Amino acid sequence: MNYFFKSAVTGAFLLGTLTVNAQDLSRKIPADAMAVMTIKGNNFLELMSAEEFNNTFIGKEMFSKLAKEQNNNYNSVEDFGFNLSSSFYYYNQTNDSVSYNCFLAPVKNLAQLDKVFEQSGKKFSVNGKLRTFFNADSSKIMRWNDEMLLMVLADGRSAYFDRPEIRERFGMSVIEVPQEAVAVDSAATVDATDVAAAGDQVMDASEVMVDEPKARSRSKKKSSHAAKSRKTKLKGKKSAKKSYKKKPVKVQPAEEAYMDAASAAAEAAAAAVDSAAIVVDTAYSYYEDKNSPYYKDKTIKTAVVARWTVKMIDDAFTGNGQNSILKNADFTKNIDQKAEATIWVAGVEKLGNAFIPSTTYLKDFNVLSGYGTANAKLYLEEKSIRISSAMTFSEEMGSVLRKVHQRKLNKAFLKYVNEDKLIGYMAYSMDTKAYLQEYPKLVSKIYGSLYSDEIGMATDLFSLVLDEEAISKVIKGDGIFIFNGLSQKEVSYKSYDYNEENFETTEVMKTKKETLPDFLAMISTEDTRLINKLIAYGVKKEVVKSKNSYYEVTIPKSPLALYFAIKEGIIFLGTNATEMEQIVSNTYQAKVSGRHKSALLGNNYAAYFSPKRLAGKIPAEELGSPAKIEKANKTLNSLGDIYIRSYPMNGNTFAGEISMDTPADQKNSLKYLFSVIENLK
Amino acid sequence: MIKRNLGYFILILLACVFSSCFQIIEEINVAANGSGTVNLTVNLSASKTKVASIMLLDSVNGYKVPSKQKIQKEMDEVVAYLKNSPGISNVKKTVDLENYIASVSFAFRNISNINNVNQNVLKKMKIKAVNNSSYSFSPETNTFQRSYAHTKEALTEYNKLKPEVKNVFKEASYTSIYRFEKPVSSCSNPLAKVSKTKKAVMLNTGMMGLINGKTNISNKIVLSK
Repeated sequence: MNYFFKSAVTGAFLLGTLTVNAQDLSRKIPADAMAVMTIKGNNFLELMSAEEFNNTFIGKEMFSKLAKEQNNNYNSVEDFGFNLSSSFYYYNQTNDSVSYNCFLAPVKNLAQLDKVFEQSGKKFSVNGKLRTFFNADSSKIMRWNDEMLLMVLADGRSAYFDRPEIRERFGMSVIEVPQEAVAVDSAATVDATDVAAAGDQVMDASEVMVDEPKARSRSKKKSSHAAKSRKTKLKGKKSAKKSYKKKPVKVQPAEEAYMDAASAAAEAAAAAVDSAAIVVDTAYSYYEDKNSPYYKDKTIKTAVVARWTVKMIDDAFTGNGQNSILKNADFTKNIDQKAEATIWVAGVEKLGNAFIPSTTYLKDFNVLSGYGTANAKLYLEEKSIRISSAMTFSEEMGSVLRKVHQRKLNKAFLKYVNEDKLIGYMAYSMDTKAYLQEYPKLVSKIYGSLYSDEIGMATDLFSLVLDEEAISKVIKGDGIFIFNGLSQKEVSYKSYDYNEENFETTEVMKTKKETLPDFLAMISTEDTRLINKLIAYGVKKEVVKSKNSYYEVTIPKSPLALYFAIKEGIIFLGTNATEMEQIVSNTYQAKVSGRHKSALLGNNYAAYFSPKRLAGKIPAEELGSPAKIEKANKTLNSLGDIYIRSYPMNGNTFAGEISMDTPADQKNSLKYLFSVIENLK
Repeated sequence: MIKRNLGYFILILLACVFSSCFQIIEEINVAANGSGTVNLTVNLSASKTKVASIMLLDSVNGYKVPSKQKIQKEMDEVVAYLKNSPGISNVKKTVDLENYIASVSFAFRNISNINNVNQNVLKKMKIKAVNNSSYSFSPETNTFQRSYAHTKEALTEYNKLKPEVKNVFKEASYTSIYRFEKPVSSCSNPLAKVSKTKKAVMLNTGMMGLINGKTNISNKIVLSK
């Protein structure tokens, strides 16, 4: 079922029919959703029709897997009954007691969707146009009608269900802080109580549930493995997570259960029964024991959560959308109709606080302090595939970032960039002085509440010891790293030869090729006094060799040659002597197109990589077999140029973008993406 | 075993990003009366440029990089221990920090002396290892035996390593050479080669095969009477 649903949603996400319709379900998403992912079916469909998708390797694979697993014969993603031309959503709604992961899909053909469930043996209840499906333990509930399908995976939060007053309210057993290690152990083991087995109870509680005999028997079988594996997983974190001893019911100690099982196994040995299996089974039946307080607690929790979920789903289906996410201006502002997919996060700090465990160790740290809403959008455009992202900060953080990012890249760098030679570059510009002044403030904000005195002193000391102004003159804060390719150098090493007579060993010198990077780096400086002193010291110690107007750094035993020079407020560091000579003699031939120029000078961060130019330049020794070389070069050749850039701060919002050019011979970005994935297989 | 001990030692030393390799060579000369000499060599020369740059750092990929002094000191400790071990004499070491080649050689009264030594050397170096290899020689039957059993622990430990470190082992090789006074009449391991004089047996294999258990280096060598 899981696979079916995933496939259906994936397929649906990728496609749609040609009509844009008004069946937008975003009004069904609650206003307090923490994160929302939107997939615009129609946008995908404009790039690839359902029929075209069915014939892609992903489509074919999906159908053949479904055919094999469920004996169903689907020929098209349209057979699932979803409205592929509308938007699909995932959202998360979390409060102090429960976290819901919800998938919302537009339905086009109710009968088709019903058939999908029927064919996979999933029984559901029917109430007019409404259909409801519960999995065995009610942790997954799906409801659909002729308009939409909502699947909710709910998880009761242990921080809430461990609170004494809550346990009392729901009639759960009392928990105590453990006195000894043994108690911890038994609690942890019990935590593995099979959740699936709790299904029965929940059904009584929620009443609407429909029995699902086939799935239940299967899930039961699986669950004995699940219980076993969860047990092992829990061992590591038990002490941190659940250090409780549960009372008051008399419990058969876990060890005893295992002992019984072991002796039972010993008796059965003659019958050639796998003793290990017996141990597990017996242990499982112990967890299944309905008199065990763990089982009861789990059942209560599952039932409570299931009731909440049903209520939440009821609201979604009957609600009038008055309190929907559409009331959130930041959400609506960030839904771009042109984007194929969008992820929107209501508040990174809020999300972090909801999911970072609230242990005593972490509660005073606020790493995400000052992080506001965030979003990421995927665009599959004619000429490029682009992901843009943005994060809004608090005024305090925003002002820090604005100050730090006020510097622009040194224009003079461009005199030493030749885009015909390079394979990629990375450039960054920030204000060293602002950074050194503002950074301590950020640190005290993160750790402030816990170690306010210590941090206060440390940050003061930091400012006292460092002369921000002076440092910022030596290293201004902008730099560029240009990657020109790879080169090979021969190095010798000692090895042994053996004579055939008596395998006597003789030491021999052999040679091999080392692959080295070829690069040029530049950083801006104003005050070169310190650097000059360092050079003089290096020359004296014979680590640095003067080559008239530039220097060579000698690294012992290293085949990598490094040259550097200081000129016009730029420190150059590179691997190519000729290039360095051209730089100091003003004969370097620069070439920078408008696109690179604006990327480099207009942003605080810019990076570029041309996979095509790297193709064929990776030494065969680094890749191995000819087949691997061919595949690597083929992949590199099929990829377009990649650009990464940040935008200038806009208010308190910091935004960036990564894009890859779509090769000219490709019909569109989506089809191109499919072809790249297929080639990678 | 010393060889594995040194293997771990190299692992700590070598945490290279690029492909790099090392060689472990184990030479044992056995006299007719069962006494003999051992020469163990670890050669990192092929990776010396990487080792040299790593040596400049304090730690790489979470592993502490030992200083030259520390390497010398640990080798000295191994030598000191060997000198005090029963049946072991004439212990010598050479450490070539130019080419990163280290070797230890010693004489033994009886080959069984090596078996006890190895485990204790490992303990001394605080390295967990299972003694899964042993040597024996019977002058009466003229049979030299190297027993080796792969332990899953080797693979478990290997799997725990970071991918960059794992790469170090991919091209590493292990060579064992056993020399005798009498000609070899049979040799059980198909991977082993017998020299022209018939008095030496060599087995050369990749370290990966030893780690994942695909290569067995057990060998029963019967000498002619």
